[in-house]
Amino acid sequence: MEDQNKVLDQKLENEDELFTFVEYSPEAAEMIGYSDYSYWKSVFQNFLKKKSAVVLSIIFFGLVIFSFIALAIGKYNYAELVTDSSKAFISPNSEYWFGTDNIGRDYWCQVWYASQTSIKLALIVAIGECALGITIGCLWGYVRKLDRFFTELYNIIHNVPTILYMTLIALLIGQSFTIMAVSLICFGWLVMARNVRNLVLMYRDREFNLASRTLGTPIHRILIKNILPQLISVIILRLALSIPGTIGMESTLSYLGLGLDINTPSLGILLRNARSYFLDYPYLLVFPAVIVSLITVTFYLIGNAFSDASDPRNHV
Amino acid sequence: MIKYTIKRLLQSIVTVLIIVTIVFLLLRMLPTDYYFTEEQLMKFTEEQKNEQLLAAGLLDPIPVQLFRFYGDLLHFDLGESRRIQNGVPVEEVIGGKFAISMRLGLTSLAISLVIGVAVGILQTRHKDRLFDHIGTAYTIFVNAVPGLVSYSLVLIFGSRVLGLPSMYSSRNPGPSSILPIVCLAMTSIAYYALWTRRYMIDELNKDYIKLARVKGMSTKTIMVRHVLRNAFVPIAQYLPASMLLTIGGSLLVERFFSVPGMGPLLTDSISRYDTNIVQALVILYASLGILGVFLGDVLMMIIDPRITLASKGGSR
Repeated sequence: MEDQNKVLDQKLENEDELFTFVEYSPEAAEMIGYSDYSYWKSVFQNFLKKKSAVVLSIIFFGLVIFSFIALAIGKYNYAELVTDSSKAFISPNSEYWFGTDNIGRDYWCQVWYASQTSIKLALIVAIGECALGITIGCLWGYVRKLDRFFTELYNIIHNVPTILYMTLIALLIGQSFTIMAVSLICFGWLVMARNVRNLVLMYRDREFNLASRTLGTPIHRILIKNILPQLISVIILRLALSIPGTIGMESTLSYLGLGLDINTPSLGILLRNARSYFLDYPYLLVFPAVIVSLITVTFYLIGNAFSDASDPRNHV
Repeated sequence: MIKYTIKRLLQSIVTVLIIVTIVFLLLRMLPTDYYFTEEQLMKFTEEQKNEQLLAAGLLDPIPVQLFRFYGDLLHFDLGESRRIQNGVPVEEVIGGKFAISMRLGLTSLAISLVIGVAVGILQTRHKDRLFDHIGTAYTIFVNAVPGLVSYSLVLIFGSRVLGLPSMYSSRNPGPSSILPIVCLAMTSIAYYALWTRRYMIDELNKDYIKLARVKGMSTKTIMVRHVLRNAFVPIAQYLPASMLLTIGGSLLVERFFSVPGMGPLLTDSISRYDTNIVQALVILYASLGILGVFLGDVLMMIIDPRITLASKGGSR
């Protein structure tokens, strides 16, 4: 008790000193509160905290790089494969690392070539879908007059199986990588656009946008600066999920004979060729299946992790 | 309510009409060569071909064809099949097939609803423990890996290990439909488990659950009487649509196991220029899709009296 009283007394003695004027200092007057928060930095920091997602991304990039190496070190070149039925169904050995298919072609280079085709297609379609989906979604949500039109358009495309449009396109225009990519984008923007539209509707009439509009901000600036940043995590999630989706769609379409032309090996074509044989020669299924599952599962998980990381509510 | 229903049904009819018109026009853009089999193409002279096309009314101006088609629609006359089963009315062709698709579809739906919801409940009860992680891994696997790959795995496992037939045969529909049903159910089990888990966890965090705990209710009663019931409402919304869409069958599964159902019919009829069947199928798919959404809304309203339809203003 006594000690405490002593301290108090001392404090009281020094009280006068506490209430002196501070001298004016220009530096102090200029000082402002500063935090080194940066959106994308926090996103990456949060993302790097998820060890499994980081490991998976490394695996994915490793796989992409390896697919080029694999094609280079393989003993056969895809363009120079010849049909030789005497060499059909050779199980994996030192000459044919993944064995040979039903007409005696090296499976190693086919599998890696197919994975490259699938990844390339998936990335192109994902980016295209994203760009188209965001643009249409913003218009759909922000411009009231267009709401009816886009809702009708959505219903028309959404209520008919995509396969029907795809079949018609394949018959009318033909089958190639470009046609496939364009048509997948044309029918794939729906989900993204609808997600974006619903969120734009949510944020359109918030107070900060009202304030912006009153101050005369042009619409495109409101959309880009005020609304889109709120949608980043949803957009990233859709972008990442559309990659497994596209790979799946491509394999389905190629399996049905509506996808890429038969000379461009893709996963669907490999599985289609293998369908009649893989019960007896399981390696025909295992190699492409493992690689494609690795790619799709990786993207699925990375997408989820990245979209969590990009949600500002999870930031510090 | 009645006014709302009528308005919505009328809107749907317009949508279906627009869809079928678009498909009608697209089909007429296909080269008429598709009308003939390859054999006929070789054998017939140009005149013979033109004669046949003229008899089928395919050389009339497009508007004439379109109005004739509308006229037939008013009499509920969908025409006859031409190439799939020559001269048989479309209704009969479809009727024989949709029974098969529906049997497979409804069985798998029932199985997956029971298993999926049960897995979802168990995952919620064991949240962040081993069972939950296994369930989540399953969901990710099924969602990310292309259907073609997972079906192939099921096929290999089912026919090599369990000795089940790998192809559907109409003489032996029991055992041979096991694998297609498993493949169909696999995807929807993941779907129901995922959403049951998510909605139940959302519901568990609400205040009234805390009150129920404080009141001394047993965990089991809380789970079944409150959490599950509330969590099931959003799931139930999609039930009618998924039930109706079983009629359409699954294109990939049915092709994969050679099931003579509705799925393959769509692509077959397009590529063989059987326009009447395509149009009938499109009308069927579109109306089922729209009806499914509507019935879903009604069902949700019945289960949860707090929801009223009319106030939503018809903008979905």
